[in-house]
Amino acid sequence: MQYSRQANRHPCGRRPAGALQQGVFQIAVFALLSLGFAQVSEAGVVATHDLSRLETRQGQAMDLERFMARSDVAAGLERFGVSPDDVMARVANLTDGEIAALHDRIGQNAAGGDAIAVIGVVFLVLLILELVGVTDIFKAI
Amino acid sequence: MTPGRGPPLILAVLATLQACASYPQAEFGSGAVAQSVPDTPFHAQTRYQCGPAALLTVLEHSGAPSTMAALVEQIYLPDRQGSLQLELVAATRQAARIPYLIDPTLDALAAELAAGRPVLVLQNLGVGWAPRWHYAVVFAVDPDAGLIRLRSGTDPVRETGEGVFLRTWARSGFWGLVVLRPGELPEQPDPGRFLDALVAMEATGHGDVALPSWRVAHEQWPTRTLPLFALGNAALAGGDPASAEASFRKLLALDPQHAAARNNLAHALADQGRSAAAIAELENALSQAELPPALRAELQDSLSEIRNRGAGTR
Repeated sequence: MQYSRQANRHPCGRRPAGALQQGVFQIAVFALLSLGFAQVSEAGVVATHDLSRLETRQGQAMDLERFMARSDVAAGLERFGVSPDDVMARVANLTDGEIAALHDRIGQNAAGGDAIAVIGVVFLVLLILELVGVTDIFKAI
Repeated sequence: MTPGRGPPLILAVLATLQACASYPQAEFGSGAVAQSVPDTPFHAQTRYQCGPAALLTVLEHSGAPSTMAALVEQIYLPDRQGSLQLELVAATRQAARIPYLIDPTLDALAAELAAGRPVLVLQNLGVGWAPRWHYAVVFAVDPDAGLIRLRSGTDPVRETGEGVFLRTWARSGFWGLVVLRPGELPEQPDPGRFLDALVAMEATGHGDVALPSWRVAHEQWPTRTLPLFALGNAALAGGDPASAEASFRKLLALDPQHAAARNNLAHALADQGRSAAAIAELENALSQAELPPALRAELQDSLSEIRNRGAGTR
């Protein structure tokens, strides 16, 4: 009663070599452009989403940091198998605060997807936990 | 492998202790009644893709139809075999809906159902050391029977006992997402969290979706400055400086020290050809003693810009 994660791995094909570098470059360009994203208002007007940043921080001095975080998160998504074309659209809908939350911890964030490796004694323990209502794994998902 | 008598006994004791863990603050309050959103659609998930399936369910119910294929492209992480919470939030914005995280209680969940909105939840069906993260959609609760009903995985109606549901939901920090249409308020809105959700729409280029919600937010919390600030900016960007001026003046009546609003008021005045009044507002704002440096720089930029503009038209 066990199955390995490897056997169930998503059948998506691997990227050809070189695509990663190309993707990261695209992302870097995109991230740079998106620093001014959504600022359609005229010059000098304080945008609604810039208000708290201007009131609390040093403003433009943070741009490089924000840019780096955005590129890092995008590269992280690519590492987990997202195609370079999709990555750009995905990071565009995240705020700076959300990018910061994902930054460096993207690998530790919970990814809902039912994946679990159940092996030997672990299975037995989980079965006990299930019987006493701690877990809810074994019913059909 | 034949385990000795010791470990299973210890495990059983531990298990019993864990089973006793309860979350009184998250349980149904007295007087909670059954709620159901029967028209919640159902989309069966394929392996590991409970995130796209659950998000599709709530988006479709809110009238923002998407497809599994599109959502897989937006939120699935092949090598993690799952989806991240923040990416569900981001994809909601992409679908022109406002993502809002509910209060961490069954009562808040039931209130959303009562308002006709199913709630997307993240559960850990396993335990901390053997996690099985799973997204599902709560579409009904029955406090008397102690039952939670979900669209879950390949199961169109999955009934889970209140206690088990709370334990699996608690492991995600009671993460529960509703997708709001433009102009819709959550049932028990937390003003800070709701306004943050609208600011995030602005920051990701979906200000047009947020605009009706800013209006509703201003009606709901008339003494808050942020909705007025956003409404003024929207009017300014939409080429209606007179209406922008009205919003910024209303805001400044609430908070005369709001330098950013005074900055934008100056632009609204300048756009109406009233440069002298605009410059007076900026000088007023710059005379404030404790201005954050970035904001002071912004005001000075505005001042030179409006002065130049005035010189050009003279």
